[in-house]
Amino acid sequence: MPARLREPNSGSGANLFHLALVEGGDGARPSGWVPSAGMQEPSDEDLMAMAMTGDHRALSTLVTRHHRPLFAYLYRLTGGDQPQAEDLVQETLLRVVRQRTYQPGRPFRPWLYAIATNLARDHFASAAARHATPGDADALLRRLPDGGQGPEEWALTRERGDEVRAALDGLGDEYRVVLLLRYYQEFSLQEIADALQIPLGTVKSRLSVGGGRLRRALDSVQRGVT
Amino acid sequence: MAPPPSPPPFDPSQRLVDSLREQGTSPEESEELLPALLRLDEWRAPEPSAADTLRLIARLTAQLPARFEVREAIRKHSRGLGVLLATGGAQVSLLGIRFWLVSALVTLAGAIVVLSRLLPDEALVLRIGGPLLAYLGTAAAFRGRGARVLELEFTCLPSPVQIVLARLVIVLGYDVVLALGLGLVLWAGGSAQVLALTLSWLMPLLLVAGLALVLSLRLPLQTGVSLAYASWLGFLGVTAVGSMPSPISAPVLLAFAGAVGVALMTIALARLRGEVQRLLPHG
Repeated sequence: MPARLREPNSGSGANLFHLALVEGGDGARPSGWVPSAGMQEPSDEDLMAMAMTGDHRALSTLVTRHHRPLFAYLYRLTGGDQPQAEDLVQETLLRVVRQRTYQPGRPFRPWLYAIATNLARDHFASAAARHATPGDADALLRRLPDGGQGPEEWALTRERGDEVRAALDGLGDEYRVVLLLRYYQEFSLQEIADALQIPLGTVKSRLSVGGGRLRRALDSVQRGVT
Repeated sequence: MAPPPSPPPFDPSQRLVDSLREQGTSPEESEELLPALLRLDEWRAPEPSAADTLRLIARLTAQLPARFEVREAIRKHSRGLGVLLATGGAQVSLLGIRFWLVSALVTLAGAIVVLSRLLPDEALVLRIGGPLLAYLGTAAAFRGRGARVLELEFTCLPSPVQIVLARLVIVLGYDVVLALGLGLVLWAGGSAQVLALTLSWLMPLLLVAGLALVLSLRLPLQTGVSLAYASWLGFLGVTAVGSMPSPISAPVLLAFAGAVGVALMTIALARLRGEVQRLLPHG
């Protein structure tokens, strides 16, 4: 997915609101929060509030903190489509940076994953959704381990991983999303409810139904193997 | 993307049991579910490398708004009505003497025309004159680049919204005072329906001022202001030529037009916050 670049200026140069634009600055000088030894790390919410004012360092910290888990979530949500997950991570964070309505104090993580989930759903809804299969030769090569595992062991590990992936894929989005958020991302029930904008009871219900379906799917695979 | 698999995404022991319990799962169900949930760990996601993260940060950083350190420092120490008043006081000096005099003369001319009863439709004169003040006030208070004061204004301390608000308060406050003075003159001159006539002056003024501000968000200032006033004159012309009764002759409808004007001003101010970054000259 190509990065969206800065939107061009409208060109209405004599606009009345030019009158009061005080600040300029190069915007490249990181400032604001500077971590120091013994200092408590700022919360996601604090970092987001600082990033909104143009604090590069706060943004860097925020991205560094969330890049891996967010990628892992989207990787699994897209059924192991790594390029798509990378695109979605970037698009999600671009939305975070571009939006101007974040209210300081609003829980950041559910909001972030809400954006990510919605973008992934939009992707699923598009005609070209889920074009890449985890079985692609290139994708397999990319995931070959550096060492420590022999080819047979690696193949077995991969096969078992694919079984889990297939079982999760078969659940349907509404169950898959809650299971991913709960068991991989370690979201609290309330965080899931906030991220998906659903009642707490619905979260529990989907976890219960989704967990049952996952168990049956994996059992059937197991029976098929044996 | 680095090939090493991620570490186990969750502690596959007691934490899972605790999670299930928190979800309201019975011990029997937990026992059944646990093996399946433990297997989730077998599907591992690759990890982005540090270089991937750095590339992503670089791409995102380019999207950040410029950091306004001076303004942030000021903002922390300058909140409240006092600051707004001080800002307004400073802005008064930016409005030249011609603005104050011309506005007063236009109002006075309106009062004279109404009281002399030269024209059959007194209210029409006021409906033309009031918005003319809006035109003058907006054009004088919100100057574009052509006024060559940008360098000065760029060094102002208050925020864009504060400055626009302060100038609105000054200009509209002055117009309201003039309208009250007009009402007083009309009353002293023995004119009937002083309230209706004053509303005919003030409410279209608010409407045109609001429309001019909203249009100026997208158009050059002079174009926006002219378009707003021309639209109003066009509206009056159509109703006059068509010999139609003016749709806003009733005081209630006039008040409604004024409320629409205030709403448009509010929209313009609210939009300004989001437009600041886009409107930056270097943006």
